[in-house]
Amino acid sequence: MKKILSSVKDGTGFDIGLVLLPLVFLFVMSGLPLVYNVVMSFQEVDMFSLGSFARPFVGFKNYVDLFAQPETRPILFNTALFVSASIAGQFVIGFGLALFFWMNFPGASWLRGLFLVSWVMPGLVVGAIWNWILSGDFGVLNFFLRELGIIDGNIFWRSDPHYSLWAVVIANIWLGTSFNMILLSVGLSGIPKDLYEAAELDGATMLQRFFTITLPMMRSTIGAIVALGLIFTLQQFDLFAGITSGGPNNSSNVTQYWAWDLSFRQYDFAKGATISVLMIIFVMIASVVYVRSTRHEVRG
Amino acid sequence: MGIRRRAMLGVIALASISLPALSAHAEDVTITVWSLDRDIQPAPNLINDFNKLNTGIKVEYRQIQFDDVVSEAMRAYSTGQAPDIIAVDNPEHALFSSRGAFLDLTGMIAASSVVKPENYFPGPLASVTWEGKLYGIPKATNTIALYYNKDMFKAKGLDPEKPPQTWDELVDAARKLTDPAANVYGLAFSAKANEEGTFQFLPWAQMAGGGYDNINAEGVVKALDIWKTIIDEKLASPDSLTRGQWDSTGTFNSGNAAMAISGPWELDRMMQEAKFDWGVALLPVPEIGAERSSAMGDFNWAVFSSTKHPEEAFKVLEYFASQDERMFKDFGQLPARSDIAIPPTGEPLKDAALQVFLEQLKYAKPRGPHPQWPKISKAIQDAIQAALTGQMSSKDALDQAAEKIKGVLG
Repeated sequence: MKKILSSVKDGTGFDIGLVLLPLVFLFVMSGLPLVYNVVMSFQEVDMFSLGSFARPFVGFKNYVDLFAQPETRPILFNTALFVSASIAGQFVIGFGLALFFWMNFPGASWLRGLFLVSWVMPGLVVGAIWNWILSGDFGVLNFFLRELGIIDGNIFWRSDPHYSLWAVVIANIWLGTSFNMILLSVGLSGIPKDLYEAAELDGATMLQRFFTITLPMMRSTIGAIVALGLIFTLQQFDLFAGITSGGPNNSSNVTQYWAWDLSFRQYDFAKGATISVLMIIFVMIASVVYVRSTRHEVRG
Repeated sequence: MGIRRRAMLGVIALASISLPALSAHAEDVTITVWSLDRDIQPAPNLINDFNKLNTGIKVEYRQIQFDDVVSEAMRAYSTGQAPDIIAVDNPEHALFSSRGAFLDLTGMIAASSVVKPENYFPGPLASVTWEGKLYGIPKATNTIALYYNKDMFKAKGLDPEKPPQTWDELVDAARKLTDPAANVYGLAFSAKANEEGTFQFLPWAQMAGGGYDNINAEGVVKALDIWKTIIDEKLASPDSLTRGQWDSTGTFNSGNAAMAISGPWELDRMMQEAKFDWGVALLPVPEIGAERSSAMGDFNWAVFSSTKHPEEAFKVLEYFASQDERMFKDFGQLPARSDIAIPPTGEPLKDAALQVFLEQLKYAKPRGPHPQWPKISKAIQDAIQAALTGQMSSKDALDQAAEKIKGVLG
């Protein structure tokens, strides 16, 4: 007891306390729900046993049942497509914009600020707006495409199973681009200017400078953005609720929306939890890849 | 120390004043009611009126959001915090009844001079019934029928006083009324992948001799084929698959659809928005003389079995039922009863429409009742959408749905 007290006095115990406090907090706030979720995926849960922890244990039955459902594979595929297309779109456009504003023309920072509008809008509002834009009969997007001569007839973005997932991807790219742009802008401004001056003196072209200086120097930023993008995209729920509701016939359904639908619309909480567990595993694999890819980073 | 002592004295003084006050109130039994009604809707107003009667029962009201009704209710129930009375959407009623969460009111209703089962429309009554017992009282009801634009009927040479009676006539009329150049679709309805899609399709299935427990019957396949024809020939917007009833009917009001299948909740908006002559017809049937059917919406009252004051809670429900005559006049909702005449509103379009809805209500059937209704409904929605998007034939899609529903029904 005395030892502990003195350790608080001399400082090391205080340090340990400082570390322990957030650890306990983290465990209670996110660790326990995570464990609870995993446990729930091995139980038989319905509305009336939701309040108690002692529920019949069913082993892997939920997982087996889930993969026996005909919609499971298409939904998993949709999720992969949604995540990769969204991240790619957000990143490429965001990087383009970041490079554009990096040129620092008059009013660049002001304009860049305007782009943040999309980031501060609530997802459901964005969903509702894109719902109108993508509407088949009277949507603005169809009007533009028609006027530009790209399409002859209206595309029913929300209701044609060939387009429905892409309708959400388009809206999600719009939503996430500004966030990518801001983070990439920060990364760009962190690159020392003298590197470019030296390269220019050595006669490197603009493309060469981009691939030999900009990209390698941005590696950790890009890694962080892709990892965050993965998490944000896997969280994206509002746009599905606002635009397609996962339809038609699950053609735009993804795991995160499906988990909600199963839990809160069909009251199948165990299956909802099962899907969440699969998503957790997926995010964990992705974060391991991310950590490994940035581990050899040399920080100056 | 001085401050503390004074504070203590203050507390004791306060307690001695409020204790008698508390005991005076303790005679009142407090009944809590949850529903989704806003301040202009029945529940809060009826409760205010009831509290003014000083019956020794004090009713407290809490408004909950539509999406939260079931999840809030079951969370409250499983943690012992349930209210005494709740209003739930009619397809959810069986879920609670079958698990003993709602109180069996059969005996109290039999003894009641206010609530008489024979006064109610059969559909709403069936939705509160589980295994022959009554677990609630219908609060209000609604259904769907066919709205049509009489001006467009005239313009296309159709008789505005003869709306389509059968499915074939409906498709024929839709073909004649569809005018892509003028952005007009023949029909507007909802095939959305949520409860609305089921709500709109089930009447068609039932008219054709099918039902949720017989979803792949021959007539149902024909019904879905007709829906597919309507979508394939673009007699209705392909966005019907992702649009709810409110938005679909909006296109009717703005003159972009010549007919619309929707409910009486549209009437007030239509009176304001629709700048043309319109009428309402009963839902078309497979062929003349076929059995009619319709969807049935709206909420039911129920008492939680955990209540400590079942008698008082039922008295509150009796009061609600005794005020059913005000439902339409004061709140624009249709009472679930056939013994109450809806008074004329003085607006001929609306009055004529109401008569059709009241007629249609006689044929309204509940969804289920089945405790696993959301899963059954999802199977039906998936089948509708798989067929309408051409991913499966109507037969295959409905066979698959039947298979899924069989798994649920056990």
